[in-house]
Amino acid sequence: MKVEIIMKQRVRHLRSLLNGRQAQRVKLLVLGRNTNDGLLAKLFIYFMLTIVAYLYLQPFLYMVSTMVKTLPDLLDPTVQWIPRSIEWENLSRALKGLKYQESVLYTLTLAVIPSFIQVLICSITGYALARLQFSGKNIYFALILLTFLIPPQIMIIPLYVIYSKLGWLNTPFVFIIPALLGQGLKSALFIIIFRQFFQSLPKAIEEAAMIDGASIFRLFFRVILPLSIPACLVVFLFSFVWHWNESYLSSMFLSQDFTPLSVRLEKLETAIFGREPSIEMLAANPVTEGTKMAGAFLIIFPPLLVYMIAQRWFVEGIERTGLVD
Amino acid sequence: MNDRERKNRRASLFYKLKSQGVGHLFMLPWTIGFCVFMAIPIGWSLYLSFQKVSLSSTGLFKYEFIGMQNFKDALFKDNEFTVQITSFFGQMILMIPIIITFSLLVAIMLNQRFKGRFIYRAIFFLPVIFSTGQVLNELFQQGAGDVPFLSQYGIDALVRDNFSGVMADIVTQVLGKIILILWSSGVQILIFIAGFQTISKSIYEAVRIDGASPWSSFWKITLPGIKPFIGLNLLYTTVDFFTFPFNPVMPHIRRNMFNISTGYGYASALAWFYFLLIIVMLLVVLRFLNGSSKAGRA
Repeated sequence: MKVEIIMKQRVRHLRSLLNGRQAQRVKLLVLGRNTNDGLLAKLFIYFMLTIVAYLYLQPFLYMVSTMVKTLPDLLDPTVQWIPRSIEWENLSRALKGLKYQESVLYTLTLAVIPSFIQVLICSITGYALARLQFSGKNIYFALILLTFLIPPQIMIIPLYVIYSKLGWLNTPFVFIIPALLGQGLKSALFIIIFRQFFQSLPKAIEEAAMIDGASIFRLFFRVILPLSIPACLVVFLFSFVWHWNESYLSSMFLSQDFTPLSVRLEKLETAIFGREPSIEMLAANPVTEGTKMAGAFLIIFPPLLVYMIAQRWFVEGIERTGLVD
Repeated sequence: MNDRERKNRRASLFYKLKSQGVGHLFMLPWTIGFCVFMAIPIGWSLYLSFQKVSLSSTGLFKYEFIGMQNFKDALFKDNEFTVQITSFFGQMILMIPIIITFSLLVAIMLNQRFKGRFIYRAIFFLPVIFSTGQVLNELFQQGAGDVPFLSQYGIDALVRDNFSGVMADIVTQVLGKIILILWSSGVQILIFIAGFQTISKSIYEAVRIDGASPWSSFWKITLPGIKPFIGLNLLYTTVDFFTFPFNPVMPHIRRNMFNISTGYGYASALAWFYFLLIIVMLLVVLRFLNGSSKAGRA
């Protein structure tokens, strides 16, 4: 009898303990140990991020939906996101207005060549700042920071005069030559990124190569540069995208003939109508909205492709290599 | 012994000289570029800003020294410039904290471990890919950047009631392009995420064992840890705004550049004026950031 009662008590005690533990497990699952790894916190993060992601994507969705809208759909306020029928007229008109084939080629030239040069030159400069011993290093570094901070508005007037004297206006040289001399688009930022990266490399590799009798140039091009491919990729991708999207300098220096896509979008209406559109022309043909969106889409499409392929290197590359410090 | 020492010293001197040469050689492209594409234009534009520049009939520039007249004109005569620059600085003072807080919040959320994180990361970095000035302009002109609930819930009216005239204008302008402002925080989010990696995980574990809540560990560890990155983001955002498509100073300078009555001299003066204002603002904010971090440590 007595034994039975004790046994029962034991079992009840054990069961309650088990229940408690289960409850605790559920609690852990929902609230998490850290409050940021529980289910509730995760739901909250998903919820917030989805809202913000929607806000982020909204202009892009608007662009795509306006692009394929027919005229009645555009004018009908009840049609907001999904057009009743899809029309490709806008896209073909934008293709023609931008002279797409030609201008993609121009923009590619303007983006790819300077990016390659920037990777090379900025890595050399960054390496010197990170590892080589020479006098005046701090002054160099301070000047590089200064070039980053100076607004382009200050230099644009003299540069315009210099370029026009040299006959470089409306040629890709306005981006290539400065890149070659370390003063290209956001070169200062890239130099700093490379400097940071080279400082994080172990010194032992260089010492070993030096003992083996490699010259500094051999060391740099054969050992250091191959080791820094992740950093080179990040810089190249950023440089490519920024050159592609550049519109301020190119609207100054490349306003005729050799014009990149961004400048052509600005003049898209003129290109379609033959001249500055008058109010009557716009009234007769109010669909330029769709055409402009098609043009905008055509501009972002190539970098979007690059991004889809290289997404991993863009986002993970920077944090993994600890480039920004 | 003595001989060998001397030899060693000579060798080390030679080595030092050589490495000096190599260092400057590596810096050579940059140095030439700095002189040609930075120092000369900067000096020239500074010189221009004190001159009245006019084109003579033969197509050459005629300079005429007029001292500070260009700057005085910019301040007192050009009513467009002063209005634009005050409104833009007002907007900037609002926009920069919005961008930095927003990117910090998003970076914190993206830094957590959860499934599908890479998709969200890809989305948040997407605007960096297509924030062409022209594309942004077109989108904005067509109202794609509008937030629907602003007018639906009468936030516009609320702002107008609570702020005075100029302030209300600035606030509604900023609210009107809030999405495009948020769009320009892709790089800032990346910088913050990279910044989080520099704080070691063991600190958080130690603090958790000591019984600190995540709330206080954010304020006591995360925030001080990423303070340098806040400064970095501040710099980056300010620099990014130089060529921000809605920066009204930029087209104004360009208009004056090709205007016969004002010309290059006046346009450079405007650019320098803008730069000086930016520098003053940056110095104040950075001093403030530094000061607060020192106070926090003490």
